[in-house]
Parts: sequence; structure tokens; C-alpha cells
Amino acid sequence: MKINRRNFLKGTAAAGVAAATGFPHIWIKNASLAYAAGGEIKVGVLYSLTGTTAIIETSLNHATIMAIEEINAAGGINGMKVVPVVEDPASDPATFAEKARRLVVGEKCVSVFGSYTSASRKAVLPVFEKYHNLYWYPTLYEGRECSTNVIYTGAVPNQQQKDFIPWLIKNFGKKFYLIGSNYIYPKEENNVCKILLKRLGGEVVGEEYVPLGHSEFSAVINKFKETQPNVIFSTVVGDSVVALHRQYKAAGLNPKKMPMASLTTSEDEVAAMGGEFGAGHFTSAPYFMSYDSPENHRFVEAFKKRWGKDKTTNFVSEPAYFQVHLFRQAVAKLGKGDITPPQIRKAAWGQEYKAPEGLVKIDPKNSHTYLWPKIGEWQASGQAKIIEESKEWVEPLPYWAYPGQVCTPTGMVEKKS
Amino acid sequence: MISQRQTTHRLAAYAVFCVVILLVPLFVSDAYLLNKFARYIVFGILSLALSLSWGYAGILNLGQAVSFGLGSYCMAMALKLRTIPIQTGAGGLPDFMVWNNVHTLPWFWEPFHSYAFTLFAGLAVPAVIAFLIGWFIFRARVSGVYVAIITLAMLVVINLVIIDQQRYTGGFNGITDLTTFKLFGVEFGAYSVATYYLAAVILTLLLFLGLALMNSKTGLILQAIRDDETRVRYFGYDVANYQNFIFCVSAAVAGLAGMLYTLVMEFASPTFLAVPISLSIVIWCAVGGRASLLGAALGAIVVTGVQGSLSDSKTFLDTWMLIMGALFIVVVLFLPNGLISIGDVIRGRRQRRRRAAPARMPEHAEIAAPGRSAAR
Repeated sequence: MKINRRNFLKGTAAAGVAAATGFPHIWIKNASLAYAAGGEIKVGVLYSLTGTTAIIETSLNHATIMAIEEINAAGGINGMKVVPVVEDPASDPATFAEKARRLVVGEKCVSVFGSYTSASRKAVLPVFEKYHNLYWYPTLYEGRECSTNVIYTGAVPNQQQKDFIPWLIKNFGKKFYLIGSNYIYPKEENNVCKILLKRLGGEVVGEEYVPLGHSEFSAVINKFKETQPNVIFSTVVGDSVVALHRQYKAAGLNPKKMPMASLTTSEDEVAAMGGEFGAGHFTSAPYFMSYDSPENHRFVEAFKKRWGKDKTTNFVSEPAYFQVHLFRQAVAKLGKGDITPPQIRKAAWGQEYKAPEGLVKIDPKNSHTYLWPKIGEWQASGQAKIIEESKEWVEPLPYWAYPGQVCTPTGMVEKKS
Repeated sequence: MISQRQTTHRLAAYAVFCVVILLVPLFVSDAYLLNKFARYIVFGILSLALSLSWGYAGILNLGQAVSFGLGSYCMAMALKLRTIPIQTGAGGLPDFMVWNNVHTLPWFWEPFHSYAFTLFAGLAVPAVIAFLIGWFIFRARVSGVYVAIITLAMLVVINLVIIDQQRYTGGFNGITDLTTFKLFGVEFGAYSVATYYLAAVILTLLLFLGLALMNSKTGLILQAIRDDETRVRYFGYDVANYQNFIFCVSAAVAGLAGMLYTLVMEFASPTFLAVPISLSIVIWCAVGGRASLLGAALGAIVVTGVQGSLSDSKTFLDTWMLIMGALFIVVVLFLPNGLISIGDVIRGRRQRRRRAAPARMPEHAEIAAPGRSAAR
């Protein structure tokens, strides 16, 4: 290889300079910028728009943006505009961490709304803890976390399962087969399920975990046939849900005798698999698109108007929407100089909001949210028919399955018994 | 072979680059930016590691992220053991083990109580695994695309094992909630100048050590193997040994990058040893110029830097991936030897313009030559 020295040098130097100056903010030292300066409240929106979880996370981004637009259209918060800083963390935990840093340290956002997977939440947590910022997490998750820098607006296991398991036993029987994707969420949900089954005299006839993205269920379905459970309790996620339902039907199994009871199947998964494959199976969640309430009609209509007629809302996008309004209420309580993440957290505790699913409230004890669990039966139309709904809101207990451990406003502490 | 003067100028270029990266903290005081640049430099080290094996020895290792990830996990394990778990208090098990109902610390976690062992393991574990894989690959004289397939398969296997063994590895979530690395009284926090310098100094050292290695006899033999394996074998050299040597060195360097990455990111994740990052390394190398250590490092910094800026800007939020893709195609089409060869290409153009039309044919062949070797 022949290299002309001078040009080589020039080229290298030029590339070096380009590399250094290519980053637009390099010379700007914005460390002294205060929160909520100039009559604007900056918030981060951190949902993947590309990558493996892009479809569901885009709906979260949409719900968040819509709520922010609503707030600004109504005059902002105490006259201040909410300015979203949108990032695309590309479904990658490392990128999540990088973008979270930009939002918290670089952009000085007062709060960030974000994450779908637990892995991405765990990846951004150090940033929020170190800089005492606030992360609003809308997804149902496995519980057993108690960060003082997160507001959790999704369901935890006790909220989804407490009424669901007894209902399943009553209607179908005591033999359960547990099937989940292989990561912490399904394992933890199944831990809770097993405790409930033990109390109610139920029985686990099989427990199995498939790799994420797994799409070949014939071996699993043979085991269903062999063990003949009354209920298949499913915490399979993502594309695997579609494959499982299709192969279940192809194998000639009958949802009337052996329904799948899921915590993770939403309108989006059913749309992806086709309504006829979902029909007759059940999901327990605080929100279904078909829920009949004035707030929900308004929400669904606004969502379709803003993002397209074919768009669906689901039990993750609904919290992604109402948590922004909870944020608004919290900030509205604060004076202009007080708008800092720790103050917002304090103000958010105890806030109530009439969400599409019902009146929700942030529990001041553990920063999780009181929700309204419902049981839906999927129809061929792709929508769920709501069969049961909770008579009162259900308290979030992120450590429900672990007596002796309890979440407090200052982080988890062991209960002295 | 390159002349003495060329070597001098190459050294100068390397020196300029190193001075630039070492001066960055003087101009950047923002913690976030410093952290971001440290991350890019770690990618530079990782890309350099691949350049050692791919650019200089022709071994296309698509599983480079295995070494990177293992290095990262080694460091994360050590830091996790020093984190006081919030549930159980000091001396308790790491939180994810408690969640997975593990009651005693697994034996392979024990030695990570020692930093000395950790630093050693972060280099040695990837190197040993590379050695074992390399032993089979190179003894069997596997080459070309098959090396890529085997290494890619290994990557997927190790990634699956780590996700599956969540009781010991934290599974899909990885190892999170880590304490700050502290050595000789210096805290290497994610946002600290110390961590930036650590990464920058290591990259500087590696650039020059790598250059020295590649100009040594071993380095020349490796490059000869890249260009014609059989011929080198007929000269009586043990080709497999040389290949395995550089394969292990490359793995150790990637392991080192992995350890640094844990410091910069404050967690370890199975995505650090997943297919996307492994392929990104190849892209960085190709874009920057894989047959040059500096090119590879620059490639990583430029690509991730541009990627970061594009996806940060409001205008490109929806299209940044498209633009990145287009950039890669442009570089591969017009600069087959990477950004580092931009000087060459400009020089070639100028000469072509200067010369008369009849001289066009041979000139064209001369320019095409490096491109051809790059396609190997």
C-alpha cells in the first residue's frame, strides 16, 4: 500500500478534527442551565422507534406525545409549555443508557417518560439515581423493585393475578401449565402464580420457559396434550405470542376446555396473530381498548385521530398516556423555582387522575400506582370482551410474594417481624 | 513493504490522533459529553482489536463481541460483589441471585472479590476462549467465510447461555446496579475525567503497541499469511500458530475494551455480546480502514459519533438509520480502504487528472489494487 505522506497526514488530521467537531454540543457548556428555564418544562421521551420492540414502543411514544400536546393545547402547566425531547434508543439497553444520560445530564429534563422492557429500565436506572432525576415507567413488570427515582404506572403481579387466578380456577379447574419466555418477568409472575395456586389448592402440571423470540411450539403443545391442564398460564412475550396462538389452533386444541390465560397478550399481539387465533383466550390487565368509559372513548378517539384510524391502544400505551397527566398535576402544584425532579416526585405521590381505565392514584408508600384490573376474553374481531372488572382499585404491592420485604419511599427495607 | 519515511509519517499521524483525544477533557467539562466520548473511545479500542485479526491477518471474526462481553461481565461481577445489596445489607448475595432463589455465591463468582484477579480474568477469559476456538479453526485450516460463520455461531451460543443462566448471570437484564471502580485511590466513575483518561491512554498505548507488533517479524508474517496463506506455509512457518496468536491477542484487547465499557456504562448486558454489536464492529473497521489500526479506531469513533448526533437531532429522528446505511454504502463504494485512505484516493484522482489520457489504463489498475486486497 502506497501512501502519500502529506495527504495521509492531512486526511488523518482532517478526520480527527471532523470527529471532534462533528458533535454539535462540544463547545457548549450548559452545565449551569437550570431546570424549567425560560418558561419551558423540558421532559424526555425515551421509547424505541427502531429495533426489535419498536412496534409497541412507538405506540408508547405516540401516547406520550399526544398527552403532551393535550397539555400544551390547554395552556401548558401554570402557563409553562411542556417541551418533549424525543430520543430513539433503538431497542438496545446501552443506547438507552446513553440517551438517558443525554436527557438527564445534557438536556436537563425534569423527568423522562420511557422504557418498555425491564432490561432497558435497569440500564437507565444508574443515571437517574446518580442525578436524582425521575423516570416514569408505564409497563406492567415483575415488581420487586423499589427505586426512589422511578414512578411505576404499570401493573405489578398482585394487581394482575389476585382476581384472575381464583376466577380461572372457578371457571376452568385447578390444573395449570405455566409457559413463559425465559427472563425475569415470566419467572417472577410464575412465582406469584404458584403461591396463589398453593393457597387455592391448585396444581402446576408443567412449567416451561422458551427463549425470547422462540417460534416453534410443537413440543410444548404436545406437553399440553399429554398433561391436559385446565388452564395454560402464559407469560410468553412478543412475536412468540403470535406463534404460540397460531400453533395452538393448528394443533386442534380448544380454548373452551384449555384456554390460554395471559398477562402479556394485548390488542397489538392479537392484531398480529389475527383475531380468530386469539378468540376464546383470556388476558388480565387494567386496561382494554374496548373498555366502556367516557374517558376511554375520548382517549381512543383522540389517539386514532392523531395517529391513524388503524391504530390500537393497549394496556401499556394507556399508562404511558395517563402518567403524563399525573406529571402535569404534580408540576402544577409546584412554584416556578421548585420544579426539580425530587420535588415533582414528592408532589406526584398521592396524585389521582381519571384515566381511561378508571381513577388511578400514585401510592405515596412505594411510587407504584393503584389500578383497576379487568379480565378480557378475546373475540374474533381482535378486541376483548370485558368479563370481570375489579369493584375497587387494587393497591400495588411490588413485594407481595415476599413477606418480610416491603417497599418504602426511601427504598426497600426489611420489615422487622 | 513501507519505507522508513512512510513509517515516520504514519507515527506522526498516530501521535496527532492521540494528542487530540488526550486533549479533549481540556475543552469538555460537561459530564455527559465526557462520558459519551469515553464510550466512543472504548468502541475505538474494540474496533482496533478487530483490525488486528481482520485487517492484518485476514481473520474475519464476527464473534468479536464475545470477548468484549466477557470482559464487561468480568468487571461487572467484581463491581457487583462490592455493591451493598439494598435488600440484604452488606455481605448479602447480589440482588438478582436473591430474586432467582440462589442461596450461596457460585464458585466462579468467588475470585472476583479480588480486583487483581478481575483485571487478569478480563483479559485471560476471552483469550483462553479464543485460543480454544482458534485451536480448532486454525489447526483444521479453516479460512475465509467459514471462520466468520463459526465465530458468529459461537457468539450466538455464548449469548444464549448467558441469557439462559440468569441465576448466575442476571439473564436478559444483565448485571446492573454497580458500585464505582476504585484503584490506587482513584475513582473511575462513569462521568469522571479519570475514566476518560484511562480509556484514552489505553487506546494510545494500544495504537503504538499494535503498530510495533505489526512492524515486527511476527507482524510481517501475519500480513503475509493474510495475503497468501499457502505460500507462508511452504516457507516453513506454522501458520496456525501465528493465526491463533493474533486471534488471542485480539480477544484480550476486546476483553480490555469490555472492562472499560462496564466502567463507562455502569452495567453489563447480554446485548454487549449480541449479534448487532458484533456486526457493528466490522462496519466500524470497514468504514475507518481495517488495514490500519488508527483507521479502525477512527472508524468506530466517527461512526458512533455521527450515529449519536444524528439520532439526537430532531430532524433526523425518523431517518437516521437510513442516512447511516447510505453513508456505509458510499464509503464502501468509493473508499474501499476506509476513511483513512481518503488521502490516497484524492492523490490518485489528482494524478489521473495530471496524466494524459493514454496513461489511464495502468493508472486505473493501480488504484483498483488496494480495493481488491480489501475485498479478501
